Amino acid sequence: MNHMAIIETILRNRRRFFIEIRDGVELAPKMRAMLVSSIIFFALYGAVMGSTHSLWQALSSAAKLPVLFLATLVVCSPTLYFFNLIFGSNQSLMQNFALILTAIVVTAVLLLSFAPIVLFFLLTTSHYQFFKLLNVGVFAIAGIVGVLFLTQGMGVVSAGGKEGASARRTVVRLWILIYAFVGSQMAWTLRPFIGAPSMEFELFRQLGGNFYANILVSIGEILGFVTVR
Amino acid sequence: MNKQQLSRIDRIMDLLVEEIEERMQVRRQPVPPPPPTALALEPEGGPQQPVAPPPELQPEEELEEPGSGLEPEAAPEVEPWREFPGPSHAARLMGRMALGLLVAIVLINIPINRHGTTLATAMPSSAALVFVDGLVVKEENAEEIYVYQDGRFRWISSLDAFEHFGFTWGDVRVVEDGFLERYEIGPPIHVLLKCQSSPHIYRLEGGEKRWIRDIAAFEAEGHVWEDVRFVSCSYLRSLPDGETIPPGVGPPPQP
Repeated sequence: MNHMAIIETILRNRRRFFIEIRDGVELAPKMRAMLVSSIIFFALYGAVMGSTHSLWQALSSAAKLPVLFLATLVVCSPTLYFFNLIFGSNQSLMQNFALILTAIVVTAVLLLSFAPIVLFFLLTTSHYQFFKLLNVGVFAIAGIVGVLFLTQGMGVVSAGGKEGASARRTVVRLWILIYAFVGSQMAWTLRPFIGAPSMEFELFRQLGGNFYANILVSIGEILGFVTVR
Repeated sequence: MNKQQLSRIDRIMDLLVEEIEERMQVRRQPVPPPPPTALALEPEGGPQQPVAPPPELQPEEELEEPGSGLEPEAAPEVEPWREFPGPSHAARLMGRMALGLLVAIVLINIPINRHGTTLATAMPSSAALVFVDGLVVKEENAEEIYVYQDGRFRWISSLDAFEHFGFTWGDVRVVEDGFLERYEIGPPIHVLLKCQSSPHIYRLEGGEKRWIRDIAAFEAEGHVWEDVRFVSCSYLRSLPDGETIPPGVGPPPQP
């Protein structure tokens, strides 16, 4: 339960946690705890999402959801690190990694907290588009809170750097946009996570279309404007 | 104040907060019983008690803190990262929640009947259908496919018609048996077939081609040119003849 205690520290006493990241105090155990916890939480939430289709989909989503977040982390971390470096940051890549991991673990904890609600809707309604939008909403809320943690953490961690503080703040904001775009495209590539009820289970679906168009169409169908074909 | 001063003040405040937290936590911790060797601190002139033998220490402990018992007031070294002594309420809750969720996931994925239906997939899909033109449904144990048009469900009479009107299997929403009994059923949707080398138009109905005698009959049946699907003449010839439209006008011509 050591991992859980670290997660609780992030939630309760995040300033201290960020200061320790800034000072490079025991980064490895912290990162291990965050990694393990976020993988478990994402896997559980993924399994809940996939259960609406079939057992295979539940297992597939349980494996794919942690991959989605961690792959996005790996893809986006170097950008943040090098841009921060250019604008006078003295953080290491590990510190950057730990900070982004903090955002991800907060997202994972929030997803875990939303899981009972999603489970409730899974058992009481079967509307695919509604369920999809519900999950998009949940991910949006959890993701926004996660990146707020990241912004706050960046502020604390890079407080020591004298040069380019405002530029680094802008870099973080822009990086969050990139992170969102990469994340949504990654999600689109790794879909399905829920699984359309009229379709057989498939590990990956053919590429084509994009995340945003699909969400707009889902909203259209919910409101009765279009029928998804 | 400039930014540098602000930053310094910020750091001083951080250090202060840390120090206060550490002191608070030290105060909260239960006071450990004095070590046996602390008897040397007894007030002078008191009754002489037999000195208890020191507890057996592991060699490592002896090496690390040889004089710990003699220096009870020495401040313990502040660890850089001090975790909670055990999983606290929120951490325990997270752990239990994760475990409970795992159990729930397993439970809702256990098949509850011989068709493999699970609790997670037990809700009939018609419960949240959005009724808009173009909604395609099929009852679970029936073969007929219906499309919702102008407030009515209309039977799509053939696979040719299904394809001609641009539907795909992905469009079909499977609903529970008896679902369509609750709604008005409109006239079926047929497709009209024609091949390039023949002027005749046929209506595909129940697997048979029904010759439409003339334009008047065509229009009287409510057809429009968009209903006509071009197919190969050999395919058209391979279909068995049905009753002409209108009926009783003699044997139909072949395409």
